Order: sequence, then structure tokens, then C-alpha cells
Amino acid sequence: MLQSASCGFGYLALQALCGSQAVASTAGLTPRTPPLAARAKRVIFLCMSGGPAQLDTFDYKPQTGKKKHPGSVFKFARHGQSGIPVSELLPATARHVDDLCVINGMHADTGIHAQSFLQLHTGERLRARPSLGSWITYGLGTENQNLPGFISLNTSKSSIYSSAFLPSIHNGTPIGVNGEDMSRATINNVSSEHLPLAAQRRQLDFVQIMNREHLRTRAEDARLENVIEAMELGFRMQAEAPGLLDLSRETQATLDRYQVGGQKESVGTCRMSDFGRQCLLARRFSEAGVRFIEVNHGSWDQHKNHRRDLRANCQVTDRPIAALLEDLKQRGLLEETLVIWGGEFGRPGLTPEDGKDETGHNANGFTFWLAGGGVRGGYVHGKTSNTGARAVEGKVHFRDLHATILHLLGLPANELTYWHAGREHRLTGPEGGQVVRELMS
Amino acid sequence: MIRTAAPDATVQIGFCRLERGRRSYSWGADLAGSRSPVCYTAGPASRFPEPRKQSIVNRLAPAFCYCSTLMLAVVYLLVVVYLLVVGPAEAQAESPAGAEVAHFENKIRPILVKHCYPCHSAEASELGGKLRLDTRQGILEGGESGPALVAKRPDESLLIQALRYDGLEMPPEQPLPASVIRDFVTWVQRGASDPRVTPEAKLPPADAVETTLWSLQEIRNPPLPPVQNTGWPRDPLDYFVLQRIEAAELAPTHDADARTLARRLHFDLIGLPPTRDVVERFVKAYRQKPAGAVARLVDRLLASPQFGVRWARHWLDVARYGESNGNDGLGRNASFPHAWRYRDYVIDAMNADLPFDQFLREQIAGDLLPSDSPEQRDRQLVATGFLALTAKPAKAMNTNFDMDVVADQIDVIGRGVMGLSVACARCHDHKFDPIPTRDYYALAGMFTSTETLWGVAAHEKLTAPVADLHVLQAAPKVLPPEDFVETVLVLESNTGKPKPLPKPKWPPGTPLAMGTRDRPKPADCKINIKGDAKKLGAVVPRGFLSAVPVADSAARQVAPGQSGRLQLADWLTATDHPLTARVAVNRVWLHLFGQGIVRTPNDFGVYGARPTHPDLLDHLATRFVADGWSIKELIRAIVLSRTYQLSSVADAQSLEADATNDRLTRHDRRRLDAESLRDSMLHASGQLKLQPADGSLIRHRDILVNLAGNLHEPSRHRSIYLCYLRSAPPPELAAFNLPDFTSVVGQRDSSTVPAQALHLYNSPFTVSQAAALARRVLRQEQDDADRVRRLFDWAFCRDPEPHELRQALDLVAATQSSLTSDEQAWASLCQALLATNEFRYID
Repeated sequence: MLQSASCGFGYLALQALCGSQAVASTAGLTPRTPPLAARAKRVIFLCMSGGPAQLDTFDYKPQTGKKKHPGSVFKFARHGQSGIPVSELLPATARHVDDLCVINGMHADTGIHAQSFLQLHTGERLRARPSLGSWITYGLGTENQNLPGFISLNTSKSSIYSSAFLPSIHNGTPIGVNGEDMSRATINNVSSEHLPLAAQRRQLDFVQIMNREHLRTRAEDARLENVIEAMELGFRMQAEAPGLLDLSRETQATLDRYQVGGQKESVGTCRMSDFGRQCLLARRFSEAGVRFIEVNHGSWDQHKNHRRDLRANCQVTDRPIAALLEDLKQRGLLEETLVIWGGEFGRPGLTPEDGKDETGHNANGFTFWLAGGGVRGGYVHGKTSNTGARAVEGKVHFRDLHATILHLLGLPANELTYWHAGREHRLTGPEGGQVVRELMS
Repeated sequence: MIRTAAPDATVQIGFCRLERGRRSYSWGADLAGSRSPVCYTAGPASRFPEPRKQSIVNRLAPAFCYCSTLMLAVVYLLVVVYLLVVGPAEAQAESPAGAEVAHFENKIRPILVKHCYPCHSAEASELGGKLRLDTRQGILEGGESGPALVAKRPDESLLIQALRYDGLEMPPEQPLPASVIRDFVTWVQRGASDPRVTPEAKLPPADAVETTLWSLQEIRNPPLPPVQNTGWPRDPLDYFVLQRIEAAELAPTHDADARTLARRLHFDLIGLPPTRDVVERFVKAYRQKPAGAVARLVDRLLASPQFGVRWARHWLDVARYGESNGNDGLGRNASFPHAWRYRDYVIDAMNADLPFDQFLREQIAGDLLPSDSPEQRDRQLVATGFLALTAKPAKAMNTNFDMDVVADQIDVIGRGVMGLSVACARCHDHKFDPIPTRDYYALAGMFTSTETLWGVAAHEKLTAPVADLHVLQAAPKVLPPEDFVETVLVLESNTGKPKPLPKPKWPPGTPLAMGTRDRPKPADCKINIKGDAKKLGAVVPRGFLSAVPVADSAARQVAPGQSGRLQLADWLTATDHPLTARVAVNRVWLHLFGQGIVRTPNDFGVYGARPTHPDLLDHLATRFVADGWSIKELIRAIVLSRTYQLSSVADAQSLEADATNDRLTRHDRRRLDAESLRDSMLHASGQLKLQPADGSLIRHRDILVNLAGNLHEPSRHRSIYLCYLRSAPPPELAAFNLPDFTSVVGQRDSSTVPAQALHLYNSPFTVSQAAALARRVLRQEQDDADRVRRLFDWAFCRDPEPHELRQALDLVAATQSSLTSDEQAWASLCQALLATNEFRYID
């Protein structure tokens, strides 16, 4: 049995004997200094599932000839000092455009939602592989030992936040699953009222006395020690996590900025407050030192009623994202927090005036943006063809994006590996990813 | 501990690399005896001394040798096929000069294949410009724009003009490099030699693929090896174990004491703890005559209906049993309201000790087997639910949907029954294992010739098309409750109004089952190039894996007019099939020892683990088949062995020398799995109902589970009867590494995460069981010390030590002061006992 995956009492005892540096190599979530100079300490991934329509958000494609071709159907204006064009649907995000590094040359392998979504998260579209957040906590540990290192908000299936073959301590902790109302979403069983905390501590002391006694004749079994430690971590989480999940102490002004608890309950199929709650939680978790936080909004898969549904998606997400960027900046956290926005692919554009309001999937060219964490703000990277059909310059594949994210965190992208089932595995896959240096400040 | 998904043996290889290769980076110094969990592989610009390639080659040398042998074999095969198809005379007559062929093969064909075939070949879903570039004829005849080339006149050739982006632009993404275009110009200038002839569409039957893979060698019946300590073995299997221990100059640890053994046998055989009385009686009998006492206990447990509950759960893991489809990738999760019938079938099969070969036959081809009674017919139809439990990806926009279902069916048979991952061969010849793509499609043809009956999929066509179901004859009709109104409705995305539901095909309450049946016109399947159903290659005759040596494979040919599942079931259960029995006995061993003889229970392939005891595995497989594939007999033999009955406590020397217990010098301690933990709590609190539950919570509900909120309800039945919705597992079980059951599970993970502590502190289930246990003890005993003693009886089957008694009473007293009722204070103690490692681990 290998006990190195999670830290147990034995290791903590050794820490006292050997000094803390040695222990860093054994404890799964203990924070570690990465081998390269890190520009970012943590990640907030604003995951826009369903395939956001890039031509009507960030990739402006005006008509170029007499004959109408697919392009942007919403109005665009230039914003900030950088003058980057942003759609009228995103007025609040547009105010932060000088902090955004817009990648218009994204491309992926498939237009199948599930596969591309999995590839976006794990680098692999068919098989269960560790998620981006798991690779990052595997590489870096996490800052706050009272909280999980990887939290996935409003998440879907577990393969998206799974540690797969990495040690399970790197598994994402879901908060809100499968469209659950975020006002009720929580870490399962993180609190209850059947015992006051002091009584619970006493109860745990009794359990731990029995556990140590049980361990005395089974001293070789480090799993039993791991349990003793996990019981303590669980206890500490009870103290810290409910407070972080409780948004009631936030001022009304803050809640308003994040669009939480307003009059309007829903827009289209979206609950108005849900995304704002996630953004606010993401801010609070990043303040508390959680390494990787994923925020989810979907679905951007507006096949029919493109204009109406896209407008709704933008309306629900625009102000909360702006509020998040604003708060991170105001707290001095933006420079060390990498914020990522994007989905599994994009969409082909509409042709104006042809009467149609339907779009499909486009994996050949779409948009991501990055902010904070050492990226070059006010910069547009890559471009798509005149109709937006495919990336033609500055092409960035998911594996390149992954490589760049790891690199910004100080992790050598193609060298962070894990031996499993007969070979080395890495996030960037057998092909490896290219760090896109132009994206960095 | 490391997730079992990375099996220990494999992980160790990884760490060996780490230590020996010295090309990995870890933070800080490695502690003695510990291993760094973070590993860096040196990239090309390495700061590590040893170059990457060399290291990998060193490690993988045997595998690579194997691979190259395989590749040679494949190349040879291809040549043979080519000669057979083309015929030597024709091949010679049509063959251009060698240099021209070389130029075409090296410079032209690869470019055509990569950049042009996707739109301009037989594989293309829509032939671009009606032009085919995959045959000589196609190029010469050309497409909509006329002939693609004029020999020796590149400038007049459309193909060259298109490559130059001169008028036409091909390939459309971006022009090919100038050097490539020059190669094409040269080729046309020199006369555009093209050795390609149209291959015949149907492949001839494959020759056997030769392999040295251990698991594909014949199962031998090895003689008992000599041992020094001849007094030690009790069962023949003990010889194989002892021989390996003695070879390492070690000795097995002492036997487990009677109390430990009683508890271990109860959990392993029926998944429940014993009562104190049973333990005391067993201890007494064991003192007088150990062997007889154990044998009687084992007989009693094997005969208990709870045996089936326990062992069915193990098979349900393999069968990826779930009561809903699971997230289809678009968030939709359609219920499987009739899946529970398959669950009950497996429980009954285990209790009846249905021979394992028959068990497999019924699950793969039950609909094709004869039956003597409506009951038997029903049972066999329900068994085929095994093939219908696929976690399907959404149908919407997915042209590969049907083949995705087939892939899962092949996977559950490949990894579940044979321990081979056949599924990789869907897109390419298997990289490691001797499974060519054509073998995959030989199997696929059986399943494309099979109709899979999963039901209406919540009437949501975007997740899956409506499929039929089996209508049972003997099963009772159970109507929904009178006041039942479905509350979960699918809304139209445009209007937000509920979608009207079509009239049900059957009257309410009709007993239905998931399963399979043959299609009216079974047919062979075409290779899907790179797994894409729109790009079809040659037709492959239905058949089996060519690398698996089963006698009379040729005689087992699939008759036209049948899917071939029956022949597949017969082939899998042939007594000389090298995998089925080995994989099965390894699974049984795993559940009794915590680890398999092969540590990767679903992978007996090249990169799976090697058996720690190859002869033992073969010995057991031989016995298993000889005993009529009886699971109960196999379990009986194993648990009566000396090896099984060893203590989990060992001396420092064998712990050191056999750290991973590869030599079985002791019994491995195990954590209770999610089901056993819940059942044990219900057992302790006196709440457990041993009767089977009737049906399922969702038996009348064809719904999208993702729209329903929490569907689970508290239950006092054994955990197997909870509603195993994929992507929405029962909350009582979720924290303890419950798999998501979307594909074969051979071994549960048993990692320790804080969510488990939170479950024990705060989950409504744990809190309610602690309260029930407190009420039970307060009712039964009046004296506080007696109450503590009774609680130790129920939780641990032992008396408390004096200091434990004192600490328990202290806890109650201290808690009483901060709480309003006695019951709550006692509940705190009860909860503490249920949370201890002693309660949750089996020695």
C-alpha cells in the first residue's frame, strides 16, 4: 500500500523531526513552490458550457462585401484604451476590456458537446482523465488546509472534476450539481444542528482516542492514520466552509453588483441569481486561498432563437463577471489570480437579413479570454477568417491553452506527469502543448 | 492511499522509474520509505541527466519487442491480404516501376490520405465535388470539374491548380507547403504513376493473431508445488501460496483468532456484521473443533439469502448497473424505471448459485435461449438487461450514437468478462493488446445486428430515441399508486410549456424489462474509420477475437439470420477460453482478499498487472470450471483455506519484506465499502429490514432525473435496494467512493477524503441511525454502564475495556450538560461508536 497520497499523522510527526521541506513532497495538498517563476497563484475558470457565440460577443465580424455572409448580428463598439471591440450584449465586461487578453484563434477537435467539454477539462475527449484543477493541485497543493484545493461550482458530471488516476485528494469538490439552485447548493454534510460544536469536538476526541487505541496494534497501517487526519480536516472544514458559503453578510450593494437576489427571478431558462452567486463564491474562495475554482454557466447552446437566448445568457453573466473582476482588482488579487472565460467551442455566425435565427456548433474557431495572473491585458490574439468559420492566425488548441495555464502557475506544462497504466500521462496529452508566450504580460 | 484506478502494481512501476530513472523531479528530499506524489518528466530541454527515450525503452523493452513482433505480423498479414486480393500476376502487370511507386508511396499517398481522403474518398460522408482521390480511376475520371489531372502536364491539371490556390483552393483550411506541392508537380510531370487498385470490399476471415500475452495462453492444471512446511496447507490452493512465501524465505503470519474470523466471514459472505451471540457461539465451537466450526458457519452464510445481496452487488459493479442513463453530456439523465428487474435477477442467480457460464449465457443471449416456462422466459429476457444498461451519450448531433452504444456493449464484455479492453480498437488497432480493429468490428456486427431495448428515455429524443422493452409474461402487473401524478415534466425549449407525452405503448402496470433482441435482418458491420460512423471501410464478417485461442472457433461461425450473440456467449464460456474463468476467479479472490491475484481485474492485457501467483490463478480457474462454474463452491474452497484465515497482523520482518503483501503472508485489512457501512449502521441500530425491497422508487417514472431534485427516500432495506441513479447517487452511499457506474468497475476505490468525515458527522442518515441506536439502548437497558456494554456488543461484538467504559460514560455526562435530552447525549456516544475505525474496518 502506498500512503503518500494523503497526509497522515505519521507524516505530521515526521515533519517535526525532519523539518517542513521534506514533508512538502509527501503531503498531497500542502502548498508547494513551483519549479518555474509563477505569475499566478490560483485560477478561476468561468466555464461557459454549450458553445458561446463568439461572433456576437468578442470576435467582431462585420460584413465585408456586397453579398451578405455570416458574421456578427449584434452591434459592437470599441472599448478602453486598447480599443478592443466588444458586443453591445456585454456592456459591463466591456469596461474591463483593458484587463482582458482575448484569444480569437481558439480551435478544438470536435463539435460534439460532451467530448469537447471533456477535452476542455481534461485534454482527452473519450476517456476519463484528471481534470485541469486536479493537475494543478497535484502540482501545487493548496494554500488553505481547511478547504479543498479544487472546487467546482454548479457542476455537471463527475468526469469534469475527477482526479481520475491522480491521488483522490486532488478530486474536485462539487458545490451545486446538475442545475441545482445555487442558493441551496453546499458542500454535502458540511454542517448540521444536531450537536453544538463544543459537544461535537468532545465526541470527536472520544472517536480519536478509540482510533488511536485501535491503531496501536495496527501501527503499520497508514490508512488508519490518514483517517484520523481526515477526521480533523473534516472538522476544520465545518468551521470554515459554511461561513464562506454564507452570502448573507455581504452588503446589499455587493449583492446588487453580482445580481444576487434581485426582483427578476429568471431570464429565459436561467435563474437570475445563480451565476452571480457563483461569482461571489468564487471571489470568497479565492480570498480564502482555494487553488482552483470553476464557475459554470450554461447553456450557450442556442440552436434556435439565437438572438433571444444569447441576450439572456449575456444578461445573466455580464454584470457578475464585471463585479468579480472589479473586486479581485480592488483587493489586489487579480494580479495573482488567473481568470479564464470560455466554453467547449463556438458557433458559426448568423447571416443578417436571411431571416434565420439558428446557429450550430463550430470547433474550428472560437474565443476565450484570460485576465489577471500575468496575462497581457488589452490584447487580442489570433483571428478567424472573414466569416469567423475557422481560426486562421494565432491558433490556440486546448492543449496549448492548458500548457499556458500551467506555465502561468509556474508548472512546466509538458513535464508535469503521472505514471499510470503503462505510460506517463500529462494534461497536454501525447502531442504536448505549446505555451503561448504572446499571451503573457 | 493511491486510488485503485492506478493499481498498486502499476504505480509501483512508476515509482521504480522515479527512483531508478532519476529523471523525475520532486520537491524536497524524499523521506526514507516514502514516495513523492508529484512527478516531473524531463522534457526535451532537460535538466535531468538521463535522456527520456532511453529510459522508456529500457523499461518497456519487452513490450516494444512484443509490439514490433505484432506489427511485423500485421504487416505480413497485410501483404498476404494484398496478394490474395490483387493476385500476384495482376500486381506485377499493373505495377509501375519501383522508383515511381516509391515516390507515390512516400510523397503522394500520405498527403492524399491525410488532406484529401476526408472529403474525396469512399470514407467521405459527402463526396466533395463528386471527386474521388482514393483510386487511380477516380483521379483520372475526375469529379464535377472534370479530370483531376492530365499526366505529364501539371499546369493543366486541376489538382495542381487547386494545390496552388490558383482558382480552386484545396485543401480549404490552408495551402500545403510549397515542397509538398513540388512533389505533386514532379509526380504529374513523371506521368502520375499510381499503383492503387480498388480493394475488394469484404475482408477474408482473419488469421489467428499470435501472441505471447500470458493471459491468452491455455489454462493449465498445475501440479501442487512442493513445500517445506507440509503441515501448514489445508486446501490445495495453500500449497501455491506457501511455496511463494517459502521461496522468499518468509513464513505466513499466525491464524486469525475466532472473533476476527467470524466478523471477516460475515462481511465477506453476506456483507453484514455478526451479532454478539453468533460470535460467542462460534468462538466456543471453534475452540473445540476449528475446522468443523468454520465449515458450518460458512455453509450457513452461503445458504443465507443475504449472500445473494452481497455477491450480486459485486457483479452489479462489473455490469455498470444504474437506474438512470447518467448525464448524457448535455445534462439530461433519463431514468431506467425497469432496471431493478436485472438487479433482482442477479441477486436470485447468486443465491441459486446459477453456474457462472449459464449466468453469462443468459445475460448475453437470454432472449435467444429456449425456455420451458413463462417464468424462465421472463428471467432470461431480464438477464439481457446487462447489455441495455449503457450510459448513452446524447443522441443530439451525434452521428456515432448507435456505435457508442455498441462500444459500451463490447466494453462490458471485453473488460467485464474477458479482462481485455477491446474498446480501443474501435478507432485503431490496439496499441498494446493483440486486438486489431477488424476484431472489434467482428464483434460490433453482433451488436449492430441486435436491437437494444432501453425504453422511452423520458420521451426526450435529444437524449436518446425511444426504444422498445421486453413485455414479461409471468411477472405480476403492478399499477402505480392510485393518486400517482407525475410531477417531473419535460418543457418545450421554445415555449416553456410541458411537452405532451405520447400515449404509453402498454397498459399501465405492464411488467416490462430492458434487454436485447435480434434485429430482423442481421448483417456484418463495416469498419468505422477512426471510429467515425460516417467514414466506412471494409465489411468484417461477424466473429470473435482472433488472438484468443479457443478450439473450434471456425465451427462457431455465426449463422446468417442471427446476430451471433448466442455464439459469442458459447465462445466466451468454452471450457478452453483462456480468459473468462481466469477473470472470474480473480474477481472472487479480490472480494475475499481485497486485492486480486491479478491486481488489475479488468485488464489482463499487456499493460495490466501480471498475476502474483500465476499457478494459483490457473489452479483456481481449473477447479472453477471442473466444479461446474459454481461461485459458491469457489468461495467455499477459498474461505476454508489456511491462506484466507490468516491474521491481518504480521511481524515487522514480513511487513518489511512483503510490504504490498504480494506473497500473501497475511490477510489485508479492508475498509467497509459504502453499502456494508450503511447496512452495518442499520444493523447496529436495529433498523435493518432484511426482506428484499419490492421494485424501485422509480418503477413508474419515465423522467429526466436531472429535473427532479432529490428523488431518494430514506429506506431500511439493504443498500443494494437503494435507487442507483447515475449522476445522482443515494446520499447515504455517495461519500464512500461509490462509483458512477457508467462503465465496468472491477475494484472500488477506497480513498480517504474529508467528505467521509463530514458524512459521519452530519449526514441525516448517520445522525438518524445514531438516534435510533440511542433509543434502542435506552429502551433495553436502564443502567448507564449496562448501556455502554450493550452498545459495544452491538457495534463491536465485544465488551468495553474498563477505561473505554469510563470514557464513554464521561462523554455522555459531558454532553448531557450541554443538551436538553438524555437521548441526544446517548446519541452522541452512539454516533461516535459508528464513526470509529474499529466499526469501519475489517481485520
